[in-house]
Amino acid sequence: MLKRKLNSIWTKKGVQVVQETKLSKFTSSLFVLPYFIVFVLFLLIPLIYGTYISFHDWDLLGSTHRFVGFSNYAKLFDPSTYFYSVFMNGLWNTAKFVVFSVPILIIGGLLLALLLQHLPDKVKGIFRTIFFISYCISVSVIAVLWLWLLDTNSGLFNHLLSKIGAAPIQWLTEMPYAWISIVAATVWWTVGFNMIIYINALNEVPNELYEAGSVDGATPWQKFWNITLPSIRPVMVFTIVTSTIASFNIYGQPYLMTRGGPGTSTKVLLMEIVDQAFVQRQLGIASAMAILMALIMIVISIIQFRLTRNSEGSVA
Amino acid sequence: MRKLQVAGLILFLIGGLLSGCSWQQASATKGDENNIKLWVPFSGPDGPKFEEIVRAYNQSQEKYKVDLQIIPSSEYYKMVNLTLSSKNNLPDLMIMHADRIVDYATKDQLLQTEVLTKSKKINAADYHPKALQASKVNGSTYGIPLDIHPLMFYWNKDLFKKAGLDPNSPPQNEKEFKEYAKKLTAPEKNQYGFAVPTVGTQPFLFQTILAQKGGKLYNDGHFNYTSKEALSTLKFVRDLIYKDKVSPSGLAIDGDLKLFLQGKNAMHFNGPWMLAQFEGSGLNFGVAPVPQIGEKVQKVWANSHNFVVPKKKEGEKLPAIADFLNYVGDHGMAWAESGQAPASKAVYTSKPFKELNQQPKVAESFDFAEYPPQVENWGQVSDFLFQEVNLVLLGKKNPKKALEDAQKKAEQYLD
Repeated sequence: MLKRKLNSIWTKKGVQVVQETKLSKFTSSLFVLPYFIVFVLFLLIPLIYGTYISFHDWDLLGSTHRFVGFSNYAKLFDPSTYFYSVFMNGLWNTAKFVVFSVPILIIGGLLLALLLQHLPDKVKGIFRTIFFISYCISVSVIAVLWLWLLDTNSGLFNHLLSKIGAAPIQWLTEMPYAWISIVAATVWWTVGFNMIIYINALNEVPNELYEAGSVDGATPWQKFWNITLPSIRPVMVFTIVTSTIASFNIYGQPYLMTRGGPGTSTKVLLMEIVDQAFVQRQLGIASAMAILMALIMIVISIIQFRLTRNSEGSVA
Repeated sequence: MRKLQVAGLILFLIGGLLSGCSWQQASATKGDENNIKLWVPFSGPDGPKFEEIVRAYNQSQEKYKVDLQIIPSSEYYKMVNLTLSSKNNLPDLMIMHADRIVDYATKDQLLQTEVLTKSKKINAADYHPKALQASKVNGSTYGIPLDIHPLMFYWNKDLFKKAGLDPNSPPQNEKEFKEYAKKLTAPEKNQYGFAVPTVGTQPFLFQTILAQKGGKLYNDGHFNYTSKEALSTLKFVRDLIYKDKVSPSGLAIDGDLKLFLQGKNAMHFNGPWMLAQFEGSGLNFGVAPVPQIGEKVQKVWANSHNFVVPKKKEGEKLPAIADFLNYVGDHGMAWAESGQAPASKAVYTSKPFKELNQQPKVAESFDFAEYPPQVENWGQVSDFLFQEVNLVLLGKKNPKKALEDAQKKAEQYLD
């Protein structure tokens, strides 16, 4: 009844309404404009310009930039070149980091969110802040902090190990500990972000579903598996994709904590790209590497969306 | 986020192109040739010392004005590269490390400073010849040296006393160095004679010992990473950790420095720029030129800060630059207070300079300073070697194999 009434009011003033939407469409696009300008300036133009550079032999200090077609890309796939070893080593190390960190960021964020949900209301806010606050610190501070904790001879961790009589661990200079350290620092730094997103998602799950579950005699585990998880699936997809992208962009942690060592075993792709672009000043090859990296990330994101959409379809 | 930053930097390049146009018009106005824009990377405790010199200069006369811009050292060469590539909004004068000059000189980005040194105001003979030599590429000079910073030897006097060693006489040669290191090591107290750096200052130490053994990393256009001197240097350093056991193994970045600051590492190599931090730490430390560990000749790894003049379309402000550099040459004492030793004879031979504690020791090293080889992108090409050295010092690789791999990578890079 109410709905129909409202409709009639809308149709009565039909002309006016149409005018309003035209105007409001115009004003809304004005609100979008700042974002659009920033998007064009900081993403679209650099992307096009970067692609353009990647087809040239582009020494930053050279006066001429020779067009070389796809030869920069070809070099990255030719095993006899130096660039191949640099690119593949960086890509492989980045891939390792993604594989190590994303599951922990997803599951860890969810566990923290679940934990917080079951805390008494009084302390909820405090712990939410505690878990999230590290996300607000810059990467250089994170690195210094963890360097002091992980230092082989004067770090807190090894000091504690020696207190219990265990042998010290070379946290930053030995495999697999260097990766463990970098992943641990990253998780501590960013897991709070996923946690906040999961907290909101968990709050959105209708309580009636849990009540209905209880009536049917579902165990907590069954409730989690059959009610919570399906309800937060879209949010999970979101966090998986964003965490993967963020992990792909890893740079600061290995740069500051291990310098890519031991040897080059934690030297990630962005470190190699920055080296090529701003240390060796070879913008052409660096842009080719960056474009390839972006393409790989896009492909992975599409695959992730496809996979999750398919399984969603089967649920519905 | 980081990708955004990279994109941002590329955008910065374009932004430079656009905004630069208006700047150029502004800088073409008359009277502007008396204003020098100067870029320096002194974002550490040395920054205020350098500012002092500039302020004093601006107050000392009316005609010229230096506009100092301190750029964070980690961003410095990125900024220099991007600005040089856009050719707009360039500084009139900037600081550049000696080993970087070759990169920019061969790309025709720097003015040959003979025009300055031939003028009456600045005389090449007023600077230490080693520093001048290091700013020469293919026979032309591209920089006026500010300082020379060799690797220095620091030791903990208290630990020397406890080990029954004279706290005022540092080791002089390989034998003494090893002997002292062993005496100073007490693993049960987590105390070491000489903690060997695996990254960070490791290349400086390696290049010092190699030069002392008469070895070279680069010869007549070829990398020479597999020489017998390189192998013997690498074995010596590795043995300190695994055979003589005077160093803990698996040190992380700055691990040797941290131990030294905590009084658990008796001997330490680092640059003169560390002086302020060591003095502030309350350590009872001594400082001296590096001991001669290699058997052939006394040498020490060194680098310099140089003033260089980027080439500009609208011409360089030579009279103003010459006047300022002349002043810095005569009034560089403030720079010495940062721990550095100025390369200007007027300063390092002066009485107030000689009364300082560490800085005269730095100047003592000038005569046997050994600069990195003049190879484009030396920082990057030498990295192939030092990544492998890192693996050896971490006990992950055999020295001979490591040097061969480094050589292979460097040659592949050159192709």
